[in-house]
Amino acid sequence: MARRRTHEYVPLPAAAAAAALVLTATACGTGGGDTSDTDSLLVWIMQGTNPDETGFFEAANTAFTDETGVEVEVEFVPWQDAQNKISTAIAGGTTPDVAELGNTFTPGFADAGALHDLSGYGVDTSQYIPGLMEMGQIGEGVYGVPWYASIRSVVYRSDLFEEHGLEVPEDWDGLRETALALSEAEEDMIAFPVPGDAQYSVMPWIWGGGGEIAVEGPDGTWTSQVDSEGSRAGIGFFTDLALEDGTSTTGAVNWNEIAVMEAVAEEEAAMAILGSANPKAILEANPDLEGRLGSFTLPGREGGYMPSFAGGSLLSVFEGTGDEEAAWQYVQHLTGDEFAMRWAEETGFFPGVASGVDEFSASADPVLEPFAVQLQEASRGVPVTPAWTQVEAEKVLVGMQQSILNGEATVDEATEEAANEIERILNGG
Amino acid sequence: MRTPVGLGSSSGPEQDIRRPSEPPAGRSGPRRRAPLLGMRGRRALLPWVLLAPALTVIGLLLLFPLGRIVWLSFREYRLRNLVSGESEFIGFANYTALLTDPYLWRIAMVNTVVFAAVAVLTTIVVGTLVALLLATLRPVPRVIVVSCIMVAWAMPAVSGTYVWIWIFDVDNGVVAQALGSLGLVDPSGHNWFADRLFFYAIVTLNIVHGGFPFVAVTILAGLLTVPRELHEAARIDGAGAWKRFWHVTFPVLRPVFAVVTVLSTIWDFKVFAQIYLMPGGDVGGSRMLNLGVWSYVRSFGHNDYGLGSAIAVLLTLLLLVITVFYLRALFREDEIG
Repeated sequence: MARRRTHEYVPLPAAAAAAALVLTATACGTGGGDTSDTDSLLVWIMQGTNPDETGFFEAANTAFTDETGVEVEVEFVPWQDAQNKISTAIAGGTTPDVAELGNTFTPGFADAGALHDLSGYGVDTSQYIPGLMEMGQIGEGVYGVPWYASIRSVVYRSDLFEEHGLEVPEDWDGLRETALALSEAEEDMIAFPVPGDAQYSVMPWIWGGGGEIAVEGPDGTWTSQVDSEGSRAGIGFFTDLALEDGTSTTGAVNWNEIAVMEAVAEEEAAMAILGSANPKAILEANPDLEGRLGSFTLPGREGGYMPSFAGGSLLSVFEGTGDEEAAWQYVQHLTGDEFAMRWAEETGFFPGVASGVDEFSASADPVLEPFAVQLQEASRGVPVTPAWTQVEAEKVLVGMQQSILNGEATVDEATEEAANEIERILNGG
Repeated sequence: MRTPVGLGSSSGPEQDIRRPSEPPAGRSGPRRRAPLLGMRGRRALLPWVLLAPALTVIGLLLLFPLGRIVWLSFREYRLRNLVSGESEFIGFANYTALLTDPYLWRIAMVNTVVFAAVAVLTTIVVGTLVALLLATLRPVPRVIVVSCIMVAWAMPAVSGTYVWIWIFDVDNGVVAQALGSLGLVDPSGHNWFADRLFFYAIVTLNIVHGGFPFVAVTILAGLLTVPRELHEAARIDGAGAWKRFWHVTFPVLRPVFAVVTVLSTIWDFKVFAQIYLMPGGDVGGSRMLNLGVWSYVRSFGHNDYGLGSAIAVLLTLLLLVITVFYLRALFREDEIG
């Protein structure tokens, strides 16, 4: 029997997905058969800003099949489609057995009852990075375990810094001056893109200015501080780099993180906020940049570090597939020592197990060191509530950032609107 | 995927009918076997039997989902219900929420209706002009031109949309660079995707480009049936090109125009990919959404499938009303004429 392992995922047209929804909306909860009968597993892995992963999964799946006799088929799902694809799969009863879920998605799907509670398997939750682990826990239940962490810092062109005698900036003013100097010295390049469609590049400025995205009051009501004085100062500083100082480009309003990464890979941008897996993907796309990339932690307003969004993924097991037990074995297989470390080395993401972060950053590429510092010293998460997924799906922060960059709203107007919208969604409006 | 089931189930009775109806065509006589049904019964049944395959397919692929959407629109249906499969009947609550939402009246409805009106009109006008051009061409050039415009028609919506986005790319697009080198736009560029008029101008270009070939070819087919004598007579009476078109061609082709207008209206009301894929076309609070995209964003962004379905039902009703009014107006004119 031929083994099928890695398949490219072909995005479904939205219309077909919607038709699938209406045709089979009540057909969930298939299976429920005997777990020992499992002979194959379907696994969804996210795809986008990370390097090519097919080789890793070929090795990991062969090892798993040798060990357990269970075949594994991996499908890659682009990040942008992930949420819709999982929703339609739930509706159609075609969920995978295991899926990589972005940490911000997990509470929403767990709360809806789509994910299998893993607490019965005796998971030791204390070994994982706490900020990631808490996204997988609701009450006593465990709905996913951290697989890897990713953090955003600044990636820059070390060769250009050297050529123009620039130093790594240590505070906001320094960052601004460096960006200005770069745009003067490299006229054809974008010194520091300010993307409109990349919410995780905006969040640091909210925190860095002293604000919070949203805080929960004692009565359970959420209050957004996106329109606080501190948040406005941060967002204003970031957007002014584009609007006043011209270190970005008009087209960046429509850029997401992938577009920012491509701009660096194509040697169009000299410095950008990027994730820890990006340097590797950039070198894959443009090997000429080997040895010409560096990174630094996001500088604080008056020095020190500015908090950055700690993203990452959890591996979750779907409820009602009938293969939950084998699926959990596969999750343990991927998060276990051997393959977790190998994944980190191949991608540049940090392992989801806390002890692995130290081990990995000690051995890793020097370009990743500032990312490790950022993860351990200055990382933050989004508000932990199932409703947060909707804030992301509705692109509230993206809408805010784009209307400022497009000059349709002032920082004050846009942040006030975003804060109201966040409060409305988080408070179940 | 379900088509074979529908076709299979209807092939049985179809054969039963066809067999006994064959002999009368060859030879009618007293030796004919006793029919399964009376002559009249068979006559009445035949159209339904012939329609059965199509009706089965339509029923499975269109009416069932439509019924499902209507059902969903009366229920509180969120991600949790998607998982459990259970939901609660909430009457017209989704419709009340929808009809009192200022976003519907200020943004989504305006975008949908105004855009569709402009796009349909432009598509029909361009299509007609191209058809008139084609009608005057000799056969060989005509085949060449038809083949060229067919390429536009054959282009999938997704690829077509990305090409238009690329053409209008804010930094490196062909249009930005051409205008920039002429000094017509600021060298720092202009984000036209953020401007509602520009945004829909690009969508209109995309839709008209994809839609005019069908109109052109359909009208061309009609044009070739207009008797030459009518045109000759009009010319002798001193009618110019416009008068000949308006008083001779158009009245003869009115049913053809009706068909292409109704079809274009339906297509342009429910444009999806060409908006959703544009920068800003998928942002929840954006001013660029039309009813179709809004329905999708409500369903899959908010995970509020009930309200999303209510929007879809509203769009369907709107289309039904427009089509019915249009067809009635058309038939009334025919009766007078």
